Amino acid sequence: MHASLSFDQAPPISVPYRFFLVAPWFGATAGILLVWAGADALGSRWTPEALALTHLIALGFMLQAMCGALFQFIPVAVGGNVWRPRLVANTVQPLLLLATLLLVAGLLFGRPVLLSAAVPLFLLAIGGFVTVVALALWQTPATGMTLWAMRMAIAGLAITVLLGSLLAEALAHGFAVPIVDLTNVHLGWGLGGWALMLLAGVSYHVVPMFQLTRPYPSWFTRSFGLLLLGFLLAWSSRLLLDDALWSPLIAYPLLLILSAYAGTTLWLQYTRRRKIHDATSLYFRVAMLSMLAFAVSGTVYFLRPELGADPRFVVWLGVLALVGVFVSAITGMMYKIVPFLNWLHLQRLGAPISAVPNMKKMIPADAMTGQLRLHVLAVLMLLTAVWQPGLIRPAGLALAASFVWLGCNLAGAVRRYQGFRDQIRAAA
Amino acid sequence: MTTTVIDGRELQPPEPMERTLEALDTLAEGDDVLLLLYCQPHPLFSILKKNGYAWGEEVRADGTREIRIHKLPG
Ligand code: HEM
Repeated sequence: MHASLSFDQAPPISVPYRFFLVAPWFGATAGILLVWAGADALGSRWTPEALALTHLIALGFMLQAMCGALFQFIPVAVGGNVWRPRLVANTVQPLLLLATLLLVAGLLFGRPVLLSAAVPLFLLAIGGFVTVVALALWQTPATGMTLWAMRMAIAGLAITVLLGSLLAEALAHGFAVPIVDLTNVHLGWGLGGWALMLLAGVSYHVVPMFQLTRPYPSWFTRSFGLLLLGFLLAWSSRLLLDDALWSPLIAYPLLLILSAYAGTTLWLQYTRRRKIHDATSLYFRVAMLSMLAFAVSGTVYFLRPELGADPRFVVWLGVLALVGVFVSAITGMMYKIVPFLNWLHLQRLGAPISAVPNMKKMIPADAMTGQLRLHVLAVLMLLTAVWQPGLIRPAGLALAASFVWLGCNLAGAVRRYQGFRDQIRAAA
Repeated sequence: MTTTVIDGRELQPPEPMERTLEALDTLAEGDDVLLLLYCQPHPLFSILKKNGYAWGEEVRADGTREIRIHKLPG
């Protein structure tokens, strides 16, 4: 009888996959850029290479992957309907890809024309995406803290892109704006208000589900998002309030709630009854340990200004946040989402359950853990390279190789999906 | 009336859904399936809705959701 069950109109599998298949290659490009740029690339956060690398990872890898995941996550986790997902994805994804390339090239080569050209494309791509996702998130009858975190995150994305656009135009045309403060507010919303908010909200749902932990304590999920939002608003007040004491006063509690999220997640993993050590669990552990390292380093940065005066200190923080936390968590998530989507969409073909191959057959476990080890090596090499510039080229090579491996693992999963799909259709 | 209990709390997805769909295959009129989970299985709900099943949900103090499924008459 199962063969007659009909499945809901979740978006076609091509919608998330067109984002997922592109994302790793931006990461690989970041690695190659490091190899090409060599020793000077990470001398300070303001080198053209550092700014370009930041956005290859933040927009090319993270945003692509997170947009793709949201199209799928919204119907599956919070029961929302995204308006015409195929049309939206087919428009947003290429626009985003092009805009990212233009921005990165503009930052790297210092070309105002490229920066200005990227801005309308971002506004169009992300404006469209934010509108469609916001409608879905506000219309769903579902409740819960995952939903609220996603709503706040999508607002955070809008703020990030508006501030980023302002910065890009300011650099292109030399507007008199406080660039450093604006950049700090922009990165707060990008990394905190968008990326971390989304990661936390999604964690409430997927960590218990896929990693078989107990749920996050409700006092935690109820307060984390709001506190994060409050601290980000306070952090933004630096644009108006010019007080050197203000930054640490906001930064300490902010770093504290980061540690609380990372600590809670590690504790849930540690206390679960059934221990599984698959690539996703390990990737989450790497991400949460990186977040703790980030919080400790951030505290040192404010406590010991003489150390923080070295421009490489902030680069170290950036490597921890972008590559240590977000690349790890997102990769771990993709290693669950992709096999799960393969399985779900094969089910939708109407085959009997026994005919649909197990999720574990979609990406070989060895390929995932091998790629994970290479990624961890790349993170450690990058962190060392911040202080030992001679290591930048090998670290870049390791980073590129780990992203290429990820790209191949994901492409292999898609090929396997197509193979199984053809088998099921032939048998029907 | 018999109840088939599926404790999905320590199973990795998609096992809880697989087992539930299998149990529904053999569900007799008047019987029900009780699924225990820590999250709301929206993909399962949409399958149930489309195929003439009804369900009720209760949340226990520890966060466990009890999802009780039965076939609608007709
Ligand atoms: C949505 C995710 C985004 C994240 C997470 C993000 C993150 C960051 C970070 C961390 C920095 C600081 C880099 C450093 O100090 O080395 C930065 C700077 C910057 N971002 Fe973004 N960004 C995002 C989107 C954008 C977009 C869409 C644009 C353009 C439309 C943009 C334009 C800029 C510019 C122009 C700078 C500053 C350059 C400077 O001050 O010299 N960003 N961003």
